[in-house]
Formats: sequence, structure tokens, C-alpha cells
Amino acid sequence: MDFLSLAMDTAKSLGADYADIRIQKSHTEMIYLRNLSLKNTSLQEVYGYGIRVFKNGAWGFAHNNVFSHDAVNETVKKAFAIAQQSGRIRHGKGLVLAHERGYIDTYKTPFSIDPFDVPLSEKVELMMEVNKTMLNFAEIKLAIFMLESRKDEKLFASTLGSRLDIQTVYIEPTFTATAVAEGDSQSRTFSLGGQARGWEWVRSLNLTDKAVQIAEEAIMKVHADSLGAEERRDLILDPNHTALTMHESVGHPTELDRVLGWEADFAGISFATPEKLGNYQYGAKIVNFVADNTLEGGLATAGYDDDGVPNQKWYIIKDGILNEYGNTRATAPFIGMEMSRGCNRATNYYDFPINRIPNLYLQPGKEKLTPQELIADTKDGVYIEGRGSFSIDQHRVNFQFGGDMFWEIKNGKKIRPLKKVIYKSNNPEFWNSVDAICDERFFQTFGIANCGKGQPGQRGRMTHGGSYARFRNIRVGGSQ
Amino acid sequence: MITRDQMQKAAEFIRKNCRASDFAFGINGSDNLLTRFAQNGITQHITGENLRVSLEVAFDNKTGTATVNRLDDDSLKYLIRTSENMAKLNQPDPEFIASEPAHELPEVNNYSDRTAELTVEKIVDAVVKCVNNAKAKNAKVSGISEKNIHNTFLYTKNGFEGFDQSTSFSHSMTMKKEGVETKVSKSVKDYNKFNMSGLIEQLNSQFDSLQNPVQLAKGRYPIILRPAAVLNWLVYLIWTFDRRTADEGHTPFTDQIGKQFFGEKFYFRSRLDDPDLATSKFSSDGIPGANMDWIINGVIKNMSATRYYAKLKNLKAARPFNVIVEGGTATEEEMMKQVDRGVIVNRFWYIRPIDRKTGEWTGLTRDGVLYFENGKIQKSVTNFRWNEILHDATKRILALGPSIQQEYYARIPAMLIDDFNFVDVTTF
Repeated sequence: MDFLSLAMDTAKSLGADYADIRIQKSHTEMIYLRNLSLKNTSLQEVYGYGIRVFKNGAWGFAHNNVFSHDAVNETVKKAFAIAQQSGRIRHGKGLVLAHERGYIDTYKTPFSIDPFDVPLSEKVELMMEVNKTMLNFAEIKLAIFMLESRKDEKLFASTLGSRLDIQTVYIEPTFTATAVAEGDSQSRTFSLGGQARGWEWVRSLNLTDKAVQIAEEAIMKVHADSLGAEERRDLILDPNHTALTMHESVGHPTELDRVLGWEADFAGISFATPEKLGNYQYGAKIVNFVADNTLEGGLATAGYDDDGVPNQKWYIIKDGILNEYGNTRATAPFIGMEMSRGCNRATNYYDFPINRIPNLYLQPGKEKLTPQELIADTKDGVYIEGRGSFSIDQHRVNFQFGGDMFWEIKNGKKIRPLKKVIYKSNNPEFWNSVDAICDERFFQTFGIANCGKGQPGQRGRMTHGGSYARFRNIRVGGSQ
Repeated sequence: MITRDQMQKAAEFIRKNCRASDFAFGINGSDNLLTRFAQNGITQHITGENLRVSLEVAFDNKTGTATVNRLDDDSLKYLIRTSENMAKLNQPDPEFIASEPAHELPEVNNYSDRTAELTVEKIVDAVVKCVNNAKAKNAKVSGISEKNIHNTFLYTKNGFEGFDQSTSFSHSMTMKKEGVETKVSKSVKDYNKFNMSGLIEQLNSQFDSLQNPVQLAKGRYPIILRPAAVLNWLVYLIWTFDRRTADEGHTPFTDQIGKQFFGEKFYFRSRLDDPDLATSKFSSDGIPGANMDWIINGVIKNMSATRYYAKLKNLKAARPFNVIVEGGTATEEEMMKQVDRGVIVNRFWYIRPIDRKTGEWTGLTRDGVLYFENGKIQKSVTNFRWNEILHDATKRILALGPSIQQEYYARIPAMLIDDFNFVDVTTF
């Protein structure tokens, strides 16, 4: 008998109300190049299985890396036993799982070239070339390149009859140039945050050309002025930057587990409480946030989540109004939803799946608008590219962000580069201040591959996207 | 749970079969039990063992590392084959450094039978106590209760062999009712030293003091940071407290070794002989644990240095093996009388660098802020955002409380700091 069926049969024989097993093998290749020194060239394999048992409205989860009849049975029994202990202090009258059915299906990230089939020498040569290119600039004193590739192979079975075979892949090349001059040190980073694509995507990026731009801009930045005192100004944000702001100020607040207070002790809760659904003006009327776990290249796109729920697409914010959450089978019933949106994900086999942000993007503007036209239409503002400092309170209301590259805009023109720019805003001010979004020609997606959440901590991943957008009258200034 | 004998047997297999000119073989095994509760009920309950088996090999100065989570012969063969193949395909590392030789390792005691023997029933009993306390206050409590046992092993081609066994128990609780939320947490290596009743009493005391918070204007205030808040920012200081990045000009510590860079009341050390604190017998790359003075009387004495950089610059390779910040004798009541007015902060949250070179950081207060004036607490206030150059803030330390064990690896005092820079207020 296969281990999937064995585990499910044992769980049923013990009296589980529901159970699932996730056999997962994860490979992660990490190459870390500091200047021309290879600080880490590693391949990690993590292989095992996690079993969830649901009994009387409470969960138990046990994991193991020993594949034998006895070990699987013992692990199911452990999960069942601690589910019974959980039942001593049930959440309310006990958790209820949203309705779902069983599926027999497969999913595989579409790609042409498996990154794990590409010789290490090709990867290291590319990284060396990029770092050498950046270090050719005299004021670049530090060049760092990190290349991460990951493949997850999962077999999922549940007592609902599901049998899923899922393989996902992602790659994340990130490099940074740091310039040191005039007693200062400033960095500029190339990062698209990772994509669920094959090595052909990396080859298409022309990273050596990008390295020149990154080095030049790091040097420009170290010699740039700071902005001075905080004032109300307009902001134009590139989609790489807004990927992070939407992650922190829209993605996390609309995770239903946070809304329900399940993260109160650690990651925090959410201001976006259920009575606001359908009536809360989260953003301006042109602001539409779409959750889309079917997005091609999306880091959360996997066919099904770790509840065995199919990937879906829905509005989180529609015409500026809070519309829905990202939820799971255990959280959806708390707001009266009969079905889950499929946002329960675990990182490794030994992790308990938790309510995660889906792929989430800001829909592009409907009117034709280029970034150049947006800048030309702005009298006094700052244009920010890329991600920098970020900090937000535990209710996801008040926040402060930096960026990676800054330009002052006066009378419709980028007049000078800046450094050390930060801005402060809050929900709902920030997304209600949006008055222009460039059209779909400028729509881009960016991954977040290191979203920390949960105890024990898990590193989640998802993709965000958008076009260039303008935010009016935001508090913007230079740091100390 | 993987034993020392099993680890040594695996090391012997590697020694016999690995053909690389150098290698370092590390094993980390752990047995974990974690109960997570929220809104007065258990939401997660996890048990299982974890294993990380890692082999870093070198052919001259070409390196490769492979890691698996199993220890059978086939897995060890895979480990050798994979790491050797990677190294052979790799480019030379100009900063390669050979694995550590044999060392006499310090005697440390990181293990407690009492912690190791904790059962799931006992842990759930503790959670029941927390939930009943919250219900008595018509409040909701969320948190974790967690037990870990770790076995760590390192073996190198050059003769290093080290083994350490450690335990930890951690418990945290956030109690919330309407606009009031506050948190306490504690971790210990020895469950005998854990006082649940005392922690619940502290939670209740904080909770009762925080009723009906009002907003206070942003600005510079004297601030009493309770130990948890001090540790919140100290971990970020430690993160950047690296000799190489300082020497290369990327942090505020450039050219500051031996100089009065912090406030003179600020002392930061690592000690192996603190009876309550866990420490590292050796680091993952074989640096033996050692007593270290990092900052004494505000003067930077040592900074973290990797094995490569230490050899290059003739320094001692070291990193903080635990965290001890020297305290004073001031009580919170005495601190409140030292200044006209100020705020008391339980914890910080979401600390991030604004500018690594100047050492400016941002963060928020969390889990309760109190305003005091004329030596007495006057009211509970809503949260602030702060932007501060934290090493400069240590120059404004006016008083220190006794240094207490805050986590299993850290002993920290409360601090009274003048003119802390609150740049924004939050809406709750």
C-alpha cells in the first residue's frame, strides 16, 4: 500500500474527522558571491512528510522523514493524539472546515529549462561576470550576487479523496552594488523578487547590462543630496516598489487569520475587520486589487493550496472598496463563507500550512497613460524605484517606507537624484491618494520570496504587480 | 532523537569516503513540540524531529556544500557525491580558509532534563492556565508554548570535533480586550527556572495599567525602555556589528574600534559562565565559544569577525555567543523621578534600517505605552513611530535597571534614555 493511502486509512480508523498528508521533497540551490569570493555554493534537499489530523474542531500536526509502514502509522497517531490535546482548549466551539471536495490532478510550473539541469559553472560564470562589471567602477567597493533556485515536489492526499501531484519551481537572481565615497555608503539593487519560471527567464534578463546600470546608479546615489525636511509632496512609485507597499499594507491586512486575531501574539492583527467588507473605502475608485493564484509565473501559483483547494482569482479590493479576504478552509467559515479561496500554504514538509497572501496585483489604469506623461503632469514630487526600508505597525495601519532609487520631480521633470528618502502614510490615506495609474503596457510583476510569518517561522512566497502610480500629498522627507 | 554516537558514526563514514582535500561535516538534530493558541483556543499543534546534515568540501580552494535531512549511508554517499561535484565545477575562492583544527572547547551547560522531559499534556496545562486567566478578565489571549531539544555536532578533516546538547522552553502571551493589548514572553534553558504564575502576574499588571489609551503628540521624550524593548533593538545592532563591513566603510563603526562610540553607561558582553544563559560551545564553522567584551564603558573593544577576516587582519574570530548588557540599580519608580516626564515602552516592533551608514533605524512601540509625569504614571497612550540613531541614543542613557534574564540567551536591563525621537503617532 502506498504511504498516502496508508496514512489516510490509519487516520480514518482512528476516528479523524479529516486528515491530509503532504509528502514533499524540496531542493534549494544557493550561490552567494561577495565581490569575487564564493561564500556559499550549496544544494539542500529536505524530504519528508507532514500529516494533519482534524478531530472535534481542533488540529494536530506531526512530521517525519522516515518512510516506512510503521513510521507513517506512528506519525498519524502522534498527530491524532495532539489533536485530542488541542481539543482541550478549542477555539470557540471548535473550528469548522469550509466545504471542499476531492481532486485527482497534477500541476507543474511551466518552464523550458529546469534550473537544476543548468551546470553550476554557467551560473557561477554569469555571477562572476556581473560582479566584475560592477567592481570595474572605482567607487563600487562591494558587489553581492545571490542566486537562489528552488524546486518543490509534493504529493498530497486527503480523506476527501484528493490525490495531487504538484511540482513548482522558482528562481531569484539578486545583485547589489555598494558605492563608498565622501564618507558615505549607498547601495542599489537589481531584484525582480523571483519568478516561477525556468532558466530561460534568467538568460533573457541581460544581467550584465543591468549590472552597469545598477553600478552607475549606486555611484549617483552616494553623491546625491538628501531631501531635507518632511513635507507633503506627490509620489510616483514604480511597480517594483508598490509590490512591497501592497504586500505590507493590502496583502497582510487582508489575510483572514490576521483579521480573526490568530497572529495577535506575533505578526499582528488587522484593521480591515469583517464589518468593513463591502463598504470600507480602502482606496480611490480607480484602485482595484486582484488576488490571482492562477497567475503565470506567480510564486503562489501551484494548482492547489495545502488544503487541497484549487487556485482561484478574485477581487480583494474592487473600485476602492474592501471586497474579500485571502482565506483557508479553517478561516473562511468565520465570515460565513462556504468555500475557501485557497490560501493555505506551508513552506517545507515539516511546516503547518498557514493563511498566506495570494498573488496580488493592482490592476493597471483603464486610460492610456505612460510613466513619462505621469512625471510630466507632476509639479512637486519624488519618483521612487525599487524597495528599501519598510516598517508597518501590527494592525497594518501606519507605515514608513524608503526605496532603492529616488528622483526629485519639479515642474514635470526629474531634476536630480536623491538618497535617504522616506515617506510616512497610513491606511486608508495612502491608497485613497492614488489619482493616476499607468495603463497595462507598463504592468509588471515582482516576487516576494521571503515573506516571514508563523511560529515556527516560515518563508512564504507570492507575486505582486502593478503599473506606475501616483500618490498625492504624502509626507515625504529625508532621513536624519 | 539523533544521538552523539550516531553523529560520530556518520562522521567516520565521511572521513573514510570523502576524497576532498578539506571538509567540514555538521549535524543539527532537534526534537520540537509547539502549541500555538489564539483568541483563547489552540490553533496549531506541531510535533516532530528535524535533522540537518551538511557537508562542505574543498578541492584546494574550490568549495561546494550539500545538505540533506537524513543520515543513512545512501544519504551520506549522496552528500559526498553532490558536494564534491559542486566543488569540482566551481571557481576558486580567493578568500578560502581551511576548516578548523582541533580545539579545546569550553565546558558549557545548555541542557536541562526537566525541559527535555516536558510532555504535551504539561504544555497544554500551561496554555489552559493562560486562557483561564484571560477569560477571568473577559479578554482574549494568544501566544505560543514551545519546547526544543537540540543536538549539534561538527567534525572537520583538520581535526575539529565538537558536540553540544541544549534545551529551551519558550512561552509568550498577548492579551487583548478592545483597545488594550499587551504581551509578555520568556524563554529559559531550564524549565525549573520558568515561573508561569509570575509571567501571568506581569501580563495582568501590564494589562491593567493600559486602560483607555489616549494619543500623545509626537516629539522627543525621555523614555524608559523595559528589557524586552531593549533586546528588540539590540539584536539589530548585533546584526550590523561586524568588523569587516565597518572597515570597508559601510556602517557607522568605521574606524571606531577602541573609541568612545557608545554612551559610557553602555556595556555589552558575552559570557560562558552565566548560570542561567545558554551559550554556544562552538559556532557552526568551529569557532570555540569564548568570553568576549564587545563594548565596555561605551568603548568598542571587539566586533564580530569571520574566520577569514580574522586571519587576514590578525584578529580573534568571534561572534556574540550570548548577550549580556550590564545593568544598574535603578527601579522604574526611581527612573520616573529622574526626569520631569516621559513614556514607558514595553516592546518595539518592526525595526528596520533607514540608513546603514549613519546607523539610523526606524520602528514602532508595541504592547503598551505609558505616560508619566512628576514621578508617577499618568495615563496609557497610543503607539509611536521612532527614527533614531541607536548608538547615539546610548549616549543619552540616564539610568539603568538591574540586568534580568529576558530570553534564554540574553540578560538585559531597563534603560532610561533622554530625548528619544518619536516622529509619528499611530491611530491605536
